Amino acid sequence: METTSTNEAVTNHAVNSPSQSRAMLAADNLTKRYEDGVLALDHVTFEVNQGHIYAMLGGNGAGKTTTINLFLNFIEPTEGEARINGIVTHKEPLRAKEKIAFVSENVMLYPNFTALQNLDFFARLGGQTGYSKDDYREVLLRVGLQEEAHNKRLKGFSKGMRQKCGIAIAILKDAPAILLDEPTSGLDPKAGFEFIRLLESLRDEGKAILMSTHDIFRARDIADTIGIMNQGRIVMQSQKSDIAGEDLEKLYMKYMAGYMEQVN
Amino acid sequence: MLKYIIEKELRDMISSTKFVVTFAICAVLILLAFYTGAQNYRVSQSQYQAAKTENLRQLEGLTDWIMVRNFRIFLPPEPLAALVTGISNDIGRSVTVQGRGELATQDSRFSDEPVFAVFRFLDLDFIFQIVLSLFAILFAYDAINGEKERGTLRLTFANAVPRAQYILGKIIGSFLALAVPVLLAILLGCLLLPLLGVHLNGDEWLRLGLMIFAGLLYFGVFLMLAVFISSLTHRTSSSFLLLLVIWIFSVLIIPRTAVLLAGRAVDVPSVDEIASQKNRLRSQLWSEDRKKMSEFKPTQNGDPQTMVSEFNKFMSEAADEREKKMNELASRLNEDRHNKQAVQEKLAFGLARLSPAAAFSMATTNLAGTSMDMKAHFLSEAQAYQKTYAEFMQSKTGMNIGGGAMVFRMRSGDGEEDVEKPIDAKELPEFNYAGLPLDRVVGAALPDLGILALFNLLFFAGAFVAFLRYDLR
Ligand SMILES: Nc1ncnc2c1ncn2[C@@H]1O[C@H](COP(=O)(O)OP(=O)(O)O)[C@@H](O)[C@H]1O
Ligand SMILES: [Mg+2]
Repeated sequence: METTSTNEAVTNHAVNSPSQSRAMLAADNLTKRYEDGVLALDHVTFEVNQGHIYAMLGGNGAGKTTTINLFLNFIEPTEGEARINGIVTHKEPLRAKEKIAFVSENVMLYPNFTALQNLDFFARLGGQTGYSKDDYREVLLRVGLQEEAHNKRLKGFSKGMRQKCGIAIAILKDAPAILLDEPTSGLDPKAGFEFIRLLESLRDEGKAILMSTHDIFRARDIADTIGIMNQGRIVMQSQKSDIAGEDLEKLYMKYMAGYMEQVN
Repeated sequence: MLKYIIEKELRDMISSTKFVVTFAICAVLILLAFYTGAQNYRVSQSQYQAAKTENLRQLEGLTDWIMVRNFRIFLPPEPLAALVTGISNDIGRSVTVQGRGELATQDSRFSDEPVFAVFRFLDLDFIFQIVLSLFAILFAYDAINGEKERGTLRLTFANAVPRAQYILGKIIGSFLALAVPVLLAILLGCLLLPLLGVHLNGDEWLRLGLMIFAGLLYFGVFLMLAVFISSLTHRTSSSFLLLLVIWIFSVLIIPRTAVLLAGRAVDVPSVDEIASQKNRLRSQLWSEDRKKMSEFKPTQNGDPQTMVSEFNKFMSEAADEREKKMNELASRLNEDRHNKQAVQEKLAFGLARLSPAAAFSMATTNLAGTSMDMKAHFLSEAQAYQKTYAEFMQSKTGMNIGGGAMVFRMRSGDGEEDVEKPIDAKELPEFNYAGLPLDRVVGAALPDLGILALFNLLFFAGAFVAFLRYDLR
């Protein structure tokens, strides 16, 4: 088993390496210190290539959402940069955002709109204006939302249904990269499983997928690369091929335990 | 992009039950305002006709114009004044003209029917002031922070959406979504007017149109303000509370406080003080004239008819002399009071204009012709009429008998041949009240329309800048 357990190792291979240009998503010494002084991200570096799934694995407060917010330019990095298809997000946010789709932990859509209306609005915002109603239906069926729900207002949708709409919107945008922030937390096992299968099919279409999760089994199930994140650092990063079952679990538990100790 | 955001905003607003219910209430209130306005107009119209008829009837049976000591003229009701009552119910609706002297209005609607003064009227000014502002606040207080709370802001800005376009789309979309239905209700109200027997002329339609425009500007102020506040805050509950406080200050507190403060700051001599000064002069002049009267010596030819007419001439001249002196004092006192009042008003209105509600109210009352100008204009029209009246009386009786001139009259004792013919009251010149002219009305409303536009611009810019720096997470 070969695991890189420090930042440096990851950094070395990322900075100025030829792979940088090929990476669809790249965090380069990404650092964020919030106004109140909390160092939420500490020189995080990783890359996600097309056709790959990168899972950020970490407990609460590890810095996963902060990382994703930096990619979305919702916040500015204190140091370093996030790049999407080579575009630095905080320098050219609009151009960068054309290349990503985003699914949040808790997809929230317009409650008074039907699923189809929500899809239509967000598809247009995503720059896709050529879709027909049938296209929307097709995507909704693909993500597993039953036909009866298509014309219902979002008001009564369960979390699982909303997550399905969220991924449908991401699919419709047809961006080369997809960011997902704990997309399966709170879903029942079956829905979670279906969601993961869907992500795999998107990966197989060549999307670069960055997903955060605190669920180690899910990460191991799907990710091509797993980065364990703790207190704003990637403390361990390993390829799927390198992962030997319980080892990952032990490592993760170790870091999580360490985190827990610090909290207590 | 802008188009999609506007479309979405329109649909989002209109598709909620909250919208349907609130809009229905607003529409009913707006229509009610038109209805009560029309109703008011018709009531005033019949009261006006009745008063005029009664006034002429009192001259019936009189046989000599010299017995007509005064004449009452009436302020004709105007439909716009019924829609936006302004001060029209507080000022007197009639003036007693005597031929000379100062005029005062009397018989205000509120003094005749005090019950209406208790809660005031449900006029357009009031309904617009309340309904339009609340409508705007109720639907835009969560324009930005609501999207954040709902989580749709993050998803929206995960796309290549320029912030400027988003906030612009939000404002345009919500303005259209709210203003168009409100405008429809207002237009329906306008259509109702002719059906309710209120017929406006071209000028009046134009003025009503400008009043509605003022309403839209006022609505815009609160809409922009709501969007502004919602992009300054992150929780909808805080923006709602803040807007409610601003609303209360703007609609209820600032205008009243402004008047109170101005009243404290500028001392205006009271009407009573002035009246007592005038009374002093009047009795002084009277006692002087009484002395002259006793010294009056008619030319010695003994003809009683000539004597009486000479005496009357003397009396009339004395009255003119007194009138001149009284007028001098009165105009000095009045001017002083007037100047101080103007300063006070300017201060009060200046302060009140911090509130868009006050600016709106001043714009609409000016347009309706029921602002503070109304009374002054009525009095100046009455003053002009008094001249015509005096000339008429002069032609009929050979003298101007008003204003305390004492008239003695000789009846030629010899007889039946002098059958007295009743006078024809219709000969009296009619009081043709010309309301404030259009250019003056519009000119008076312009500053307040400007202020409302400025508020719009200010809050729009505020919303814009605030949103450019808004934390989208
Ligand atoms: N707006 C903020 N201001 C200050 N600290 C923050 C803010 N957002 C997150 N943090 C802190 O940053 C750290 C990382 O948070 P986050 O990225 O949300 O973690 P995760 O998504 O992995 O649970 C946490 O310690 C959190 O308290
Ligand atoms: Mg998180």
